[in-house]
Amino acid sequence: MTTSLVIDTSTTRTSVAIVSDGITIALLNHDDALGHGEVLPRLVSQALSQLSAGSKLDQVIVGMGPGPFTGLRVGIAFAQSFAFAREIPWIGICSLDFIAPPSVPLDYLVATDARRKEVFWVRFQDGVRVSEPQASAPQTLKLLDLPSFGEGASKYGFSSDKTINYPDPLLMAGGFETALNYTAPIYVRRPDAFPAPVNVSFRPMNQLDLVTIFDLEKRSYAYDAWSMGQLKEEFAGKNRWYLVAEKEGKVVGYVGGLLIGNVTDVLTLTVDPSQRRNGIGRELLRRLIDWSRTQKVEALMLEMRVDNVEAQPLYLSFGFVEISRRPDYYGPGITAIVMRKDLT
Amino acid sequence: MNQNSNIVLGIETSCDETAVGIVRGRTLLANVISSSVEEHARFGGVVPEVASRAHLEAMQSVITQALSDARIALTDVDAFAVTAGPGLIGALLVGVSAASGLSLALDRPLFGVNHLSAHLAVDALEGTGPIRPAIGLLVSGGHSSILQITDIASDVQVLGSTVDDAAGEAFDKIARLLELGFPGGPAIDLAARAGDPAAIAFPRGFTQAPDQAAHRFDFSFSGLKTSVARYLAATPNYLKADVAASFQEAVVDVLLQKAIAACAERGIDSLIIAGGVAANSRLRHEARIRCERAGIELRTPTPDLCTDNGAMVAILGSLALESGAKPSAVGIGADSSPGIARVIW
Repeated sequence: MTTSLVIDTSTTRTSVAIVSDGITIALLNHDDALGHGEVLPRLVSQALSQLSAGSKLDQVIVGMGPGPFTGLRVGIAFAQSFAFAREIPWIGICSLDFIAPPSVPLDYLVATDARRKEVFWVRFQDGVRVSEPQASAPQTLKLLDLPSFGEGASKYGFSSDKTINYPDPLLMAGGFETALNYTAPIYVRRPDAFPAPVNVSFRPMNQLDLVTIFDLEKRSYAYDAWSMGQLKEEFAGKNRWYLVAEKEGKVVGYVGGLLIGNVTDVLTLTVDPSQRRNGIGRELLRRLIDWSRTQKVEALMLEMRVDNVEAQPLYLSFGFVEISRRPDYYGPGITAIVMRKDLT
Repeated sequence: MNQNSNIVLGIETSCDETAVGIVRGRTLLANVISSSVEEHARFGGVVPEVASRAHLEAMQSVITQALSDARIALTDVDAFAVTAGPGLIGALLVGVSAASGLSLALDRPLFGVNHLSAHLAVDALEGTGPIRPAIGLLVSGGHSSILQITDIASDVQVLGSTVDDAAGEAFDKIARLLELGFPGGPAIDLAARAGDPAAIAFPRGFTQAPDQAAHRFDFSFSGLKTSVARYLAATPNYLKADVAASFQEAVVDVLLQKAIAACAERGIDSLIIAGGVAANSRLRHEARIRCERAGIELRTPTPDLCTDNGAMVAILGSLALESGAKPSAVGIGADSSPGIARVIW
């Protein structure tokens, strides 16, 4: 016999259950977006009191999010300590995997409320999750036009069943064995105040930068690199905004955007190969998004090579969502992914 | 022999240190600290979300290390204590939730304690017998207060506090102006050693007669900060060491003037200086001289117990247990800015 304590604090609901081989011994929910810290210990205490004397817990199952950070960490910190004190294992799973019941259609989205006018979401195909959790604007997800469930889908009016909102601790207890395990909270967003890279400054591009940029293009993109002619054209073109990152007097990266109607097209985002993974690309993209907001555009869009696995996580972390693919866009056999981020 | 030999494990996560301390009665068994200060140094201040993430990452290993240092098993712990406030709410909640998990799993009492009181309670470590009433000067990155401690576990009264920046904050800001790095306290302390504390006459906030009436035991450091900034702007070839030393002197002077005045006015001949700024060497040196002159017993925790730590939380929990205080109810949560009067939750 295996008895599990199940905890989830990834949504506005705090859920606690004790489940023993499919039998529910306790199931307690409390809805309060800010009270997880106070509520969780009370619910666990109450649930423990329903466990008959002498019977013991064998494991703790906890939802690792994604979810609003503060509440999420309440559940995880509690679960880890509880398991540590009892000397039993704890198992972390993705909360979004246990919101939709098995009765829903096989192709669907699950979206919870990420606050700040965004949702945390995942996509399922044939009943299997096919994406890592992301945070995006609800409008972008609506474009996918799939059956949708979860608190976020309900809140933003694209839910297919407004009664399906929260991670279900009974589903968690029944399905944790076949689910992906997570040992750390599922953080989709960076901390708000994530630092600008050290010793890097940012300024609008000027004509003198073109030589360095030409060199960076060649080193970064080989055959896809822009020619000097294209660069000059870009620089002179209208409705464009180019920003360069400079470190120790040297251009180490740049970003360019083009206003087309109500959308900013991300033309390029390039960082010197020797300077990557230092947050420079992130800061350039962040500034392009900020600039786009000042231009009152509705969204940013971009095309990227399907094999550009290095850049994809960056865009995903900013809430870009793949909305379509264009075969042979970069030449025969090289598909472009089209991504979009709505500004809210 | 101690009055009690209960083992208390204390958790502190109110700012950027993930800390666990263990005491038996008033004897320190372990004091383990994991700091995310290096991550914050990149921004020149503590970033709440970065701190909260680091707490969760470090929590289990800090607890394990503390148990190992204390050579005890978790089941040997008689009660848990945790900082419930004041502090960064997201950071506090990691500690409170971890402590709640331990307490409920083992069915042991939990004491939510006040961070500020804990800074002063650390003075009771290794002590015996009843704790004498004292004036507490609590100076850290988040707080600058003068307190009257009648009973550390139940009766702590605020006589005054800063109306703007905390003393530690002022150190951080001036260190940034002088490009000395973060955290500013140790950096200025070091730079000031080569400087002349009397080189520049920076202002002493709230020490003049008109302010004394309304702000007898309050502090204000924003005028000092502005004055330093103006001096730097107007003096192209300033000497960093002199600026650091003169700024530090202005802070130390005000802190001690007021703390000693509080002792005199309340008829209390014991002063405890605690909090991160209490590790400042000039403050310690000057306090020794002035207290001796005034016939006041000076108590300063060792520098490692002045900054945020788990031992101070554990000792306050232990004193609460010793005094028969009722444990906190299940589900205490965290409070980012409780009054200091709330010593135990």
